[in-house]
Amino acid sequence: MPVFAGLRVSAFLAWKSIERGSRGTLALTIMIIALIFVNLVFLPSIISGVVETFNTQSIDFDLGNLVIEPREGSQYLDGVAGLQKKVERIPGVVGTSPRITVGVTYFYRGRNAASTLYGITPEDERSVTRIADYMTAGEFLSSGDTDAIVMGATLAGSEGEEVGGLPSLQGVGVGDSVEVAYPNGATRTYQVKGIFKTQSFGVDTAAFVTSREMSGVLGLDNQASIILVKTAVNGREEEYKTELLSYGIQEEILTFREKSGGFVDQAIQSFNIINAISTLVSLIIAIVVVFIVIFINTVNRRRQIGILKAIGIDQQIIINSYVLQVLFITAVGALVGIGLNAGVTTYLTAYPLVFPGGPVYPDVEASAILRSIASLFAVSVVAGYIPAWQIVREDILSAIRG
Amino acid sequence: MIVAENLTRVYTMGRVEVRALGGVSLEVAKGEFVGIMGASGSGKSTLLHILGLLDRPTSGRVMIDGTDVLALSDHRRTLFRLNRLGYVFQDYALIGELTALENVYLTSLVRGASKAEYLERSAEILRRVGLGDRMDHRQSELSGGEQQRVAIARALVNNPSILLADEPCANLDSQTSRSILDLFARLNEDLDQTIVMVSHEDWHKEYFCRIVTLRDGLIEEMVECRKEPHPHGEA
Repeated sequence: MPVFAGLRVSAFLAWKSIERGSRGTLALTIMIIALIFVNLVFLPSIISGVVETFNTQSIDFDLGNLVIEPREGSQYLDGVAGLQKKVERIPGVVGTSPRITVGVTYFYRGRNAASTLYGITPEDERSVTRIADYMTAGEFLSSGDTDAIVMGATLAGSEGEEVGGLPSLQGVGVGDSVEVAYPNGATRTYQVKGIFKTQSFGVDTAAFVTSREMSGVLGLDNQASIILVKTAVNGREEEYKTELLSYGIQEEILTFREKSGGFVDQAIQSFNIINAISTLVSLIIAIVVVFIVIFINTVNRRRQIGILKAIGIDQQIIINSYVLQVLFITAVGALVGIGLNAGVTTYLTAYPLVFPGGPVYPDVEASAILRSIASLFAVSVVAGYIPAWQIVREDILSAIRG
Repeated sequence: MIVAENLTRVYTMGRVEVRALGGVSLEVAKGEFVGIMGASGSGKSTLLHILGLLDRPTSGRVMIDGTDVLALSDHRRTLFRLNRLGYVFQDYALIGELTALENVYLTSLVRGASKAEYLERSAEILRRVGLGDRMDHRQSELSGGEQQRVAIARALVNNPSILLADEPCANLDSQTSRSILDLFARLNEDLDQTIVMVSHEDWHKEYFCRIVTLRDGLIEEMVECRKEPHPHGEA
């Protein structure tokens, strides 16, 4: 018996069964497979989205790609201007921004909040972060500003609004005066020049003054707490770090991820565990569903299977016909699943999930789709083959008698 | 040609052993129309199942066209059924999801026939059994007699050397039964088709060349009957 002829008969039997079998059962099975597919793809896409959001938010608003810190034992980087020039000469570096970082207490209309205040050089900051593009009111700092402050939307707050333990002055607006108490005991009053909202909670709870102003208050000269470095390409921070080290930068150089203290890596690990459990459960559901559907199908057709064997149809042809039905159901289920997933992704792109690090957009990777399709097909074929194989092995006369 | 030697078949039901065949030997020559008759429980269907390779005897030997069919693997037995035997069941045993034509050409598909070939052959056989206008009907749309005709057409489509029929008229009225038996007679006369048919109806005897009567799993009687072509068998 030619192999092709066997496959042709399997396909013929499979198609007739699909075409003339129960439409309701078929539609329900396809829908279950589609939902399992969505589940397989959705969670990884959200995890990728969270990672992508963290990376983007960190680079665009908080840390740049790389952070240069003082060596251990030093509080500040010295000779910042020279260091900046040296770093900016390195190929691939597109901007640097020195920052002085202090913890301060803000006072406004009898309310106070403890948070971070950065001293920056506005034009340098613009070359690294995009905070200046996210002003919701007023303007960003200019290099000559000494009595101006720009403030994150969370820190500025709204009248009467508590922000769940985050520092908030509950209603600061542009033009208002805010008093700042520095750790060295100095106090200054600044006029709010602008309010920004990046949706990165670490940034939106902070404020910025010019380095010139802060250096005066703290008595610093050509010094900074850190220098942020922006590179031409994201995702190649390790390579750029090596490049900077090769240019003889003696200070501590950290990628933005290292600077985050492994917080994201731990979060990703936790997400991956959740994802693995979710994937496992989804695939087990797929196995059970396909197994039950094919098992019921074959049990209901015991007599038919017996007849097929009696008239000379090889049992492998019969098994293959059920496997082909499963492949069809899985293929259509995966296609419907891709459609559903596109719908969910479109919706969540328009109305993103809001995480503390910012809005999270689903990041559907082609590899995740391919992996999900491959795993669905693998488990479905196994789950379809076993019940068909069990029933087909039955004695012909017993099968025909039902 | 079929040569069955000393066939026994013992079924075990719990602790009880039931001897369905107690040592049956039988030869069926090419072109014979043999009727196997006997009361219910005499072992006639068991014998046909063994000759049709649907069951294995507890002991004995079966040679069909020179092949020791009991020595064949399951796969080879399946191929043997496909290529050499045609089997007609008492309750038609059609595939409900398929039309009459599809039921008939299914085994031709397995044999690798081309579409034109199997469609032409299947349609021709269905016309021969009087179902030329019922080819696209499914089982549920056919009468009992029509279903049995489809089953006969399916059994014949691969030109089997032996046609085995297990009480093919059991569920049919006498008029339809007669038309089925006429069809068998014509196949036997016109095409020299070897037919082994199980029956318990006395009036069927007029169609058989030879009657083998079983009783309690043994051959009680073997009678040569018809020598001349059956009048209904004349085309």
